[in-house]
Amino acid sequence: MNKRVLKGSVILLLLAGLLLIPRFVESPYALHMMILLFLSVAQGQSWNILGGYAGQHSVGHAAYFGVGAYMTMMLMHSKGIAPWVGVWAGMAAVVVVALIIGSICFRLRGPYFVLASIAVAEIMRLSAINLTTLTNGAEGILATELPAFKIGATVVTDFVTKVPFYYIGLFLVVLTLGVTYWVQHSKLGYYFQAIREDQDAAHSLGINIALYKNIGLVLSAVLTSLAGSFYGIYVGFVDPPTVLGLDVSVQIMLICIIGGMGTLWGPVLGSLILVPLSEALRSNLVTDLLVKSGAVSAESRLGLFLKENLSHAHVLLYGILVVLVILFMPDGLMGFVKKLAMRRKREAV
Amino acid sequence: MAVFLQSLISGILIGGVYALIGIGLTLIFGVMRVINFAHGDILMVGMYLTYLIFTLLGIDPFVSVLITFPLMFLFGGFLQKVFINRVLDALAQNQILLTIGLGLIMSNTVMLIFTSDYKILTTSYSSATIKVGGGVSVSTPLLISFLITAAITAALYWFLLKTDTGQAIRATAQDRDAAQLMGINVKRMSIIAFGLGAALAGTAGALISPTYYIFPQVGSVFTLKAFVITVLGGMGSVVGATLGGVLIGITESMSAVYISSGWKDVVVFVLFLLVLLFKPSGLMGKSRT
Amino acid sequence: MAILEIKNVSKFFGGLAANSDVSFDVHEGTIMGLIGPNGAGKTTLFNCITGYYPPSRGEVIFNGRRMNGLDPDKVCMLGMVRTWQKVRPLAKLSVVDNVMVGALARTGSLKVAREMAMEQLKVVRMEHRTNFLAGGLPIGERKKLEVARALATQPKILLLDEVMGGLNPAESEEIIQLILDIKQRGLTQMVIEHDMKAIMRISDRIVVLTSGEKLTEGSPQEVVSNPDVISAYLGEPHA
Repeated sequence: MNKRVLKGSVILLLLAGLLLIPRFVESPYALHMMILLFLSVAQGQSWNILGGYAGQHSVGHAAYFGVGAYMTMMLMHSKGIAPWVGVWAGMAAVVVVALIIGSICFRLRGPYFVLASIAVAEIMRLSAINLTTLTNGAEGILATELPAFKIGATVVTDFVTKVPFYYIGLFLVVLTLGVTYWVQHSKLGYYFQAIREDQDAAHSLGINIALYKNIGLVLSAVLTSLAGSFYGIYVGFVDPPTVLGLDVSVQIMLICIIGGMGTLWGPVLGSLILVPLSEALRSNLVTDLLVKSGAVSAESRLGLFLKENLSHAHVLLYGILVVLVILFMPDGLMGFVKKLAMRRKREAV
Repeated sequence: MAVFLQSLISGILIGGVYALIGIGLTLIFGVMRVINFAHGDILMVGMYLTYLIFTLLGIDPFVSVLITFPLMFLFGGFLQKVFINRVLDALAQNQILLTIGLGLIMSNTVMLIFTSDYKILTTSYSSATIKVGGGVSVSTPLLISFLITAAITAALYWFLLKTDTGQAIRATAQDRDAAQLMGINVKRMSIIAFGLGAALAGTAGALISPTYYIFPQVGSVFTLKAFVITVLGGMGSVVGATLGGVLIGITESMSAVYISSGWKDVVVFVLFLLVLLFKPSGLMGKSRT
Repeated sequence: MAILEIKNVSKFFGGLAANSDVSFDVHEGTIMGLIGPNGAGKTTLFNCITGYYPPSRGEVIFNGRRMNGLDPDKVCMLGMVRTWQKVRPLAKLSVVDNVMVGALARTGSLKVAREMAMEQLKVVRMEHRTNFLAGGLPIGERKKLEVARALATQPKILLLDEVMGGLNPAESEEIIQLILDIKQRGLTQMVIEHDMKAIMRISDRIVVLTSGEKLTEGSPQEVVSNPDVISAYLGEPHA
């Protein structure tokens, strides 16, 4: 069978499976895990377009995530505007932010660009804290009551269970994967990668650097803001550190670093590793396993220490993973896999 | 007028400490072209180290600088040898990511050990002030830390200008390959530079520990500020970092007084973006990318 | 009319005059050799011509159009493309993808771009490397790749900056044949080279630069027997 047909069929089967899961799985916790996974993939794929393909490593993507989240939540909370309308406002706001950031930051190369992107996100976060009339400041916005989604007179969902969120999350995954695939197989993708590999060479080959960088940024920012809006309505609460903080930006990057930047499936791989791992830590799963297996006694000092603290350790884990990946697998898992495949190809020749 | 003088002087005093942080960062960049995103977290480690020495051994934070400086120097050398050295020839973004990762490890390990609770280091003179005249009074700990900073900076300048090792470091910063060809052990220079950078950051942490809240995440704001200082002064320029530090200290202090303390950091970051836009090579500007 | 007119071009970096009042014309379909000792300002001139930076003084006229201050991408779209002294392959992309990047200057379709790319790969005889990663190529093939990529932009004039640098005689010979083939297709070329024998063989006219200034210009025979040229290279009159 043709390789492409095979690949396509596998993906369709996977998609069908994912669509059917809520019919058979009722556990809200399992659905919650899947939603977290979807969110992570959407965030990673969005960043990947700018960072992985175009090579512009923004460490300030929290700015777009947070603006999307805040816009949707602010409009819903204070004006009662439904999130599926508010989302568009979020995207519009993010386009403006992105273009401003682009005009400032894209003149800068390498580390200066990274620094500028962090500075912008920090300015956003601090502004969110200070502009209390708009954003409710450090207290954040709490809005858990979602309006019912109707088509005509029929209520499609009133967001009582996690199921609608599951499907929205899945939709975001398909959307971001689809956009990435489209970019990869278009002139855009070639130009992004040319810019990433050698900006001056690309420039001399007829590529308008500023234009394409900004296209990449806007695309990436809009998708990230969608993820942010989704996060807002799912969790029901946003505040400056949770959606605009530096660790949000780092986390988003991490998904791509571990999985492999500039590849279609990298962020998916990265999420499949990061999300369960951090959840396992957060929920004391690791500690419980250690205790059950008898390796650690629940009453011992080590046991108590682990029980209390391991749940906070997921960020420590992120740090360790980053260091390990950069030192030993700088192209991420996908890069590692590709290298193996290339080596086998070359040996076969 | 008194208010103006007051905020100006406070700004200069804290600017001294900022200068220490900036000099450390710029040394690391100058010698290794590495952008150290863990710089603020190294400062945080210095703060906690000082806190430990104070609570366990009862040694005054300013005196304990004598212990913290060499310890942090060793810590920095260790980081360089084990981690940074491996990515000296890697892509800039990988270096950045590595140091971000190291910073995360530092801040979260500290959080695991000490919890996120804010710690306060109170000495007998923590809230003391000295009247300088003209209705202006300065915080005693700030004044002492400025004096220590000035002394360290002077010693640093002497080291860089008058000693063989110092000159070797400057040579490596100017042109790594040429320095190597002239027999300078550039690997050793890198270790020393990072060690120095860490020592300066850690010491800065020690100096501000009597006046700042101590908590694991305190580093990240300082990292960004350190970058603003070094970019403002010109990446790689020690003089630039000195000036930049004082300038940022003054800007912050004035913003806190004349605008609001909530917005003071925003002013610094906006200033940063302006510098990046209009004069990315900074005040003493040798822009080497 | 000359396809490329360089009129009194000067380029200053601070107090240093990297190019000083350089003027010459390049005629369509010819090969103009640009020679001179190291530091004479040859690459600087290329950079000024192709928009990497603008000339401090003077004018660059291409096909009757003033090019000063145009960005490199506009320069390429107008039909002028260059290769680099230090090769710049798009390392993580395959050979054919590299050339496609060039071809995409003229088409939005990946399919058409691929066809155009394969055509150029045939010209430089690298079809056997189609899916090879550009970063893994040896220097000779990197240089050929860069030429193929530049050709894919369908230029009217090709500027080659020391394309034979670092190549062995067999590889250089291949490049010389390539340049002559390109000339057959009607393309104009300007070639910076240190290899005197090669320059003599391929150039219709030669411009000599020293210390940023144009020393002289003329046919290969005229230039090579010019005593000023000889002393510029050797530093003393050569009997």
